[in-house]
Amino acid sequence: MNCLVFSDNSDLSIQMLTYFRKSMDTYLATTVNDVSIVENYGAKKIFHMKDAVFPNDIAKTLENLVSSGNYDYIVIGSTAIGRGVAGILSHKLKREVMAEISEFRIDGGKTVTKRFFYGGKTVLEEKSDATILTVMPGISDPEKVSEKSQVEDISSAESAITLVEKKEKKSGTVDLEKASVIVSIGRGIGSQDKIPLIEPLVKAAHAELAGSRPICLDYHWLSEDRQVGLSGKKVKPKLYIALGISGQIQHIAGMRGSKTVIAINKDKSAPIFEECDYGIVGDIFQIVPKLTEALK
Amino acid sequence: MPYNIIVLIKQIVDIDLLKVDSSTGTPQVQGLPLRLENLSKNAVEEAVRIKEKHGGKITAICFGTEKSTSAMKEAYAMGVDEGYILTGYTGNNPSLTADVISKKIREIPHDIIILGNQSAESYTGMLQGKLSSILEEPLLSDAVKVEINERSATVTMALENENIVAKAQMPVIISVTQEINDPRFPPVMQIMTAGRKKINIEAAQFSPDDKIEVLSNTAPRSERKKTVFEDQEKGITEIAKVIREGMK
Ligand SMILES: Cc1cc2nc3c(=O)[nH]c(=O)nc-3n(C[C@H](O)[C@H](O)[C@H](O)COP(=O)(O)OP(=O)(O)OC[C@H]3O[C@@H](n4cnc5c(N)ncnc54)[C@H](O)[C@@H]3O)c2cc1C
Ligand SMILES: Nc1ncnc2c1ncn2[C@@H]1O[C@H](COP(=O)(O)O)[C@@H](O)[C@H]1O
Repeated sequence: MNCLVFSDNSDLSIQMLTYFRKSMDTYLATTVNDVSIVENYGAKKIFHMKDAVFPNDIAKTLENLVSSGNYDYIVIGSTAIGRGVAGILSHKLKREVMAEISEFRIDGGKTVTKRFFYGGKTVLEEKSDATILTVMPGISDPEKVSEKSQVEDISSAESAITLVEKKEKKSGTVDLEKASVIVSIGRGIGSQDKIPLIEPLVKAAHAELAGSRPICLDYHWLSEDRQVGLSGKKVKPKLYIALGISGQIQHIAGMRGSKTVIAINKDKSAPIFEECDYGIVGDIFQIVPKLTEALK
Repeated sequence: MPYNIIVLIKQIVDIDLLKVDSSTGTPQVQGLPLRLENLSKNAVEEAVRIKEKHGGKITAICFGTEKSTSAMKEAYAMGVDEGYILTGYTGNNPSLTADVISKKIREIPHDIIILGNQSAESYTGMLQGKLSSILEEPLLSDAVKVEINERSATVTMALENENIVAKAQMPVIISVTQEINDPRFPPVMQIMTAGRKKINIEAAQFSPDDKIEVLSNTAPRSERKKTVFEDQEKGITEIAKVIREGMK
């Protein structure tokens, strides 16, 4: 069977190639600038769509590609662009789509997938005719192969949308993906002026400071590049210490790869306690100073 | 210049109140209150802001059930002018939802369609692209900022690693993110007036669908140890050990 992988994101591209090449021959279509990052992950061929930007144009280009190949599955990384592409392509090709999957297998000619539901509180396992999938980040740990994929440049379709400007998100100097200890704060911190109360722990644990989305994106108490989660960084430290974070699935999606998870939350029923190895029920401002002291 | 805006609103069970049976892992959906889905609220708010600035009319469409009137009333209170509830919704199937909603959209003259980028409970993000393809209108997705000018929309799209500013001529489809705005809490007077306003209720036309078979729907089982201390002193001692071990 043949599988066409698409993503505008290089991490997702190589995760999907690693995952799907186990059961199918994989081909990659991508808009990433630097194809050298994705060319060692087992794609039979890479279609480099250099200048396609918007979902409508990318979908059009993929539609042309698909019409000249025989792809049993089209799997698309779940990014802002990817989700748009998947919806368009599903209608254009009259093929069913299953969104945000985290597991995949084929059973009796049908597609069996898992995805989160009810905002992440449950996992839905479904059997369907879907042959287009959007795939959540983190489906595999990318593994290289020795051969390089052959690359073919594909020019993109005409666009009804004008690109006015690209604005790089200001990224700082933190490299959360490489940190071995992370202290992560959530709305439980209450206000920005409380952050210094956490810093002694960050120091004592030789950690990097990170945060949930509200902290980084909505309130800007930390810079955007410190956001952990589905729409933020995917981290895999040895220790992840979550302070005043409720543990919504979009946050968990970014820290699931952590070796050991510690959580402090005053709400005994907070979902983070289902996703931690060790937890303390209580107020962060009472516990953190004592914990810091105990580390010295 | 006034614009005709269509906003898509979804009603969901209150997922924040949803409890999962601890022994079987099954969600306890029965009896949960219904509410307007989070991103739908952001969509309504953005539509109302455009109307306040440029004038025009906002029509809301909800593919829901007879019970969806409360969601529509909330949208009315925020500033929606007219609403259609299409009944017959039984669960999340993006292809079917797109089919039902696009048929209604075709009956309504419009310049802009606004919806959420990914709804809070099912999280598919499929409706935006499906509608763009069915209606052949360009998609400006994941908006964190929208500017309207002379029948064109300029949207800042929030991608994972960068923001891109894109422009298209109307009619356009705009999907909004959570960050785009803070949905308003309408004043009591507006809520009262909204409660009396007529809601159009029509049965959705579609053929029954059984293509997706649900094998299971239970809480994820995590492999974590889940040793949770309610005795703080003990917890601190134990966790300090774990941290010291982890720092090695
Ligand atoms: C499309 C989409 C993408 C998203 N992407 C991300 C993402 O990448 N990352 C992310 O984090 N979120 C993301 N979210 C948001 C996510 O759904 C949650 O809203 C968010 O993670 C909640 O952040 P929080 O845990 O800090 O806040 P809350 O959910 O408000 O939790 C605060 C917690 O602090 C506890 N608390 C309060 N005071 C104290 C105290 N003094 N001591 C101890 N505990 C205390 C409370 O009991 C509560 O559990 C996304 C959402 C959407 C819709
Ligand atoms: N049944 C529905 N009726 C009306 N609008 C909907 C419905 N389902 C989804 N939407 C809209 O589409 C957005 C994204 O939903 P989804 O594509 O399902 O993730 C929501 O935020 C709503 O604006």
